Amino acid sequence: MGKEKYEESSSDEEVNSSSDVVEASSDEEVESSSDEVEASSDDVESSEDESSSDNEKVEESDSSEDEVAPRNTVGDIPLVEWHKDEEHIGYDIKGRKIMKQPRKDKLASFIEGADDPKNWRKIYDEYNDEEIELTKDEIKIIQRVISGRTPHAEVNPYEDYVDWFEYEDKGHPLSNAPEPKRRFIPSKWEQKRVANLVRKIRAGLIKVSDQHKEEEHNVYSLWTDDTDSVENKKHGGYVPAPKPKLPGHEEAYNPPVEYIPTAEEINSYELMYEEDRPKFIPRRYLNYRSVPAYDKGVKESFDRCLDQYLCPRTRKKRINIDPESLKPKLPSRKDLRPYPTTCYLEYRGHMGPVNCISVDPSGQWLASGSTDGTARVWEIETGRCLKIWEVGEVARQICWNPSPDRPILAVVLEYDVLLLNSGMGDIDIQTKMKELLHISEPGATEDAGDSKSAVTWIQHEKHDGIRMKHFKAVLSIEWHFKGDYFTTVVPSGDSKAILLHQLSKKHSETPFRKLGIPVTAVFHPSKKKFFVATKKFVHVYDLSKVEKIQKLETGVREISSISIHPGGENIIVGSKEGKMCWFDLELSTRPYKTLKVHSKDITRVTFHRTYPLFASASDDCTAYVFHSTVYSDLNQNPLIVPLEILRGHKPEHGRGVLDCKYHPRQPWLFTAGADSIIKLYCH
Amino acid sequence: MEPNGSGSDASRQVQVRFVTRLPPPLRVPPASMAVPSHLTRFGLSDIVNLLLKNSDPDHENQPFDFLIDGELVRMQLDEFLIAKGISAEKVLELEYVKAVAPRKQEDPRPHDDWVSAVDGSNSSFILTGCYDTFVRIWKSGDVSECTHVLEGHTGAITSAKFIDIRGVENEQNFHLVTGSKDRLLRLWKCDAAKRRGDPIRVGAYKILAGHTSSVQSVSVNPSREMICSGSWDCSIKLWDVKESEEDGDGNTISLKKRKVNSKTKESEDARLEGAATSTLVGHTQCVSVVTWPDPDVLYSASWDHSVRQWDVPSGKETWTMVCGKALNCLDIGGEGSALVAAGGSDPVLRIWDPRKPGSLAPIFQYSSHSSWISACKWHPRSWFHLLSASYDGKVMLWDLRTAWPLAVMESHQNKVLCVDWWKDDSVVSGGADSKLCITSGIEIQ
Repeated sequence: MGKEKYEESSSDEEVNSSSDVVEASSDEEVESSSDEVEASSDDVESSEDESSSDNEKVEESDSSEDEVAPRNTVGDIPLVEWHKDEEHIGYDIKGRKIMKQPRKDKLASFIEGADDPKNWRKIYDEYNDEEIELTKDEIKIIQRVISGRTPHAEVNPYEDYVDWFEYEDKGHPLSNAPEPKRRFIPSKWEQKRVANLVRKIRAGLIKVSDQHKEEEHNVYSLWTDDTDSVENKKHGGYVPAPKPKLPGHEEAYNPPVEYIPTAEEINSYELMYEEDRPKFIPRRYLNYRSVPAYDKGVKESFDRCLDQYLCPRTRKKRINIDPESLKPKLPSRKDLRPYPTTCYLEYRGHMGPVNCISVDPSGQWLASGSTDGTARVWEIETGRCLKIWEVGEVARQICWNPSPDRPILAVVLEYDVLLLNSGMGDIDIQTKMKELLHISEPGATEDAGDSKSAVTWIQHEKHDGIRMKHFKAVLSIEWHFKGDYFTTVVPSGDSKAILLHQLSKKHSETPFRKLGIPVTAVFHPSKKKFFVATKKFVHVYDLSKVEKIQKLETGVREISSISIHPGGENIIVGSKEGKMCWFDLELSTRPYKTLKVHSKDITRVTFHRTYPLFASASDDCTAYVFHSTVYSDLNQNPLIVPLEILRGHKPEHGRGVLDCKYHPRQPWLFTAGADSIIKLYCH
Repeated sequence: MEPNGSGSDASRQVQVRFVTRLPPPLRVPPASMAVPSHLTRFGLSDIVNLLLKNSDPDHENQPFDFLIDGELVRMQLDEFLIAKGISAEKVLELEYVKAVAPRKQEDPRPHDDWVSAVDGSNSSFILTGCYDTFVRIWKSGDVSECTHVLEGHTGAITSAKFIDIRGVENEQNFHLVTGSKDRLLRLWKCDAAKRRGDPIRVGAYKILAGHTSSVQSVSVNPSREMICSGSWDCSIKLWDVKESEEDGDGNTISLKKRKVNSKTKESEDARLEGAATSTLVGHTQCVSVVTWPDPDVLYSASWDHSVRQWDVPSGKETWTMVCGKALNCLDIGGEGSALVAAGGSDPVLRIWDPRKPGSLAPIFQYSSHSSWISACKWHPRSWFHLLSASYDGKVMLWDLRTAWPLAVMESHQNKVLCVDWWKDDSVVSGGADSKLCITSGIEIQ
């Protein structure tokens, strides 16, 4: 009952005052707004039950709003305008269209409004495209806001003032009392405490740390050039432009005379590369106005534009390396003297290419074998030919017995190996040699088991030596360092390819089988080891156990010769494609170093017996001399230094230097050439 | 410097005074005179000849050499002064000496094989050793005349020396020693008085065996009692000759005569054999040359790159000098007979002064040769002159006072293996062209 009364009274009262709200909702509702309920001037508290019920309604509507999502899913856009032609105003969460409310034309809505008594409190919500009917409470709040009161009637804006602080009979806030004495005298307790601290610090009980220093790190220079900082580099940051050189005196229009280049200097600039040429040549002018226009100005600005256009946008990391520093640090050649450099002596006399040479262990004589069918002995110091053997066939290899008591020469012919008495040495040695090189029974040695068919030892009548007839062509020969054993290599001999012979017993055997095609074989200079080179590998055998120890992979196409360092732990291998490999047996089975030096086949590599030298001879008519220090310290790799290229031989039928050997005691190198000359290179 | 005010650069003049130690007919007045500074020694020589002709109309022109401060002038005078830093303001003292140059090339004495040893210490005979195992004695004279052929060695002769260098009374009868590649030394006696048309064949009266390898060099003690030999077996052996001479005087001569007359082939039966009195060990390689300039001091050079001095009585090494090259020749001579000249496996002839303490650097190096140096020899009397022979076929005459050779004798067509002075004014040299060449007329004061 009270409600209705309230409604009516309020509607009558407040027609004018509610006109603003009505205007805001719609023009047609102007007169219907007369029954607008304005919050009564009475206290809201007076009708408590009403307000509570209203509140409940509001809460209900709030919660329903929360449950039902707002129709608008497209945001705060002018829906009316943008969706004017559409039938929907957006999409719901399932992708269905949210349809527009059916639009009424103005007449229909007016008629409907006239019929509906609640029309005056309906508002069109543009955001959600729907009509909302305002509740009574809402209208009440609107009324209160319009009239400048608090929206909710239950709020009391004028609460009683509660004074929390006492200020009555306090007088002046500052004390008027005189200052106490303790304010003027140093504190006794503080003094005691300081004294205590000082004592403790002195006693070391308290450590004073420099804390203030750390704070200094926080200070940084605001304007510093941090282009080099790690932070900047990491992010590819700012790169400052290079600073141009400031103009100096020479750029003046009338520079001092010492800046002016002479005519020769200007001419020398012409000879320089354009990049190296100075960009600016100082000149003198009488006065400033006679300085001509800068002729390169257009070009330079064009270049600058070009630079900027072509400037790479990425940061390149350029490593500044001095190319010199990449070179291996090798000692100077001067410090590695002596080594052979110049040819002073030639041994002439052979009529055909000299295939092989060998120096006798004392260093007095040189033996050589040639294609002309002779083997010769030369006196090294004078170059005189002392002895000639007409062997009748091409002498392929020649080898002095390394023992000084046995001046025997081994000469390899096609199928034969001749053991010749060189005739050097005194009478005692000569008689011994005659005994040694005598075969009492020609057939006596043929009972050497399976090697019977491989080698036959025959007395050679003509040259008073031994002829060892092999079953196939012999390629090379090598003596054992003691001078009793020697080995011959018969490449096509299959299982009998490597033959070991004993001179004193005139006995031969074939201890190694299944080797492939051996090229050459050598003895270890001091141990019981044996090296066999096939075309691509070098096999190392233990002679006492007759078993393979190592297999060295050379990586070259075809081995032509090998040589063992006098220390016995290093090997050089020369190949037919001009490569030379250095093996360190302690290090690896692969080459420690591969030197590509010659343009043609290497015919011979050889070590010096005493000096740290080795050499290679090649068909390109040169011989190379190298220095090689082998350290006893296993951690240090051998040092190899190329020293000298020895030239002088002339090519003959495409062949150059066929053999090279070092003098056993001097740093001299003998080279045998296809031009039938033997040369001696001395230091 | 420009006396007449007319001087341009081309005619700068130097005040010089000619002095000499030559005998009076070759002395010029000691007045100083101005000569153009661009003169060489030939121009200066002309001036001296002109001055001599002024005083003596019969004077025959001859070349002179000029010394400034003990150095031979080998370029233009002004260049020389600049090079040596000598002031041209003062009066320059030019000492002139007779130019040393070979005047005459005698006929070469042909051999059958390479001539590997020569000795010219006897003024009337030349001794040569040859690769055909024979030792020959040549009499001095214009015609080539071989008086004796010493046969017996079985290897190439490497060294041959006269033992007796006595007075004229014994010149016709002398003893010899030879070393050979057959490891033996042989002692020989020759009597030059008994000679017929053909060369006399002589056999050795004593064989000195002991070396185990080629004997490379023999040398005779100046007191003629001992000889020494260096060999490929790295040792130096000393041999006593004197007692064998004494006891062998009677029978060996008869033996030799018998052998010569009967022409029997060599047999070892009656020949004396000698053994080394001592062996000096120290070299590690072939001892290529030994020389014995002083009775107590012996020098040796070796392929182990060293020159060693030995004290003979004690057999100890007293001085060693390493030069870095294998040495082929060595000679002691020069100033105070103390300088060591040696050459070897490079084209440089080096001279050392062993008296200089603390230094093993050569004091002179002469490098005009182009191949190994095979022999070097000091002039027996001069302090400045020495000879060198090389495998490049040249014999060079050097004066210590200049870096250029005084004379280059290119008489050989092949390697020169040995060289020696003969009669103070001739050079005898043998080489691989099987010739003994004699170059004479070298006047050395």
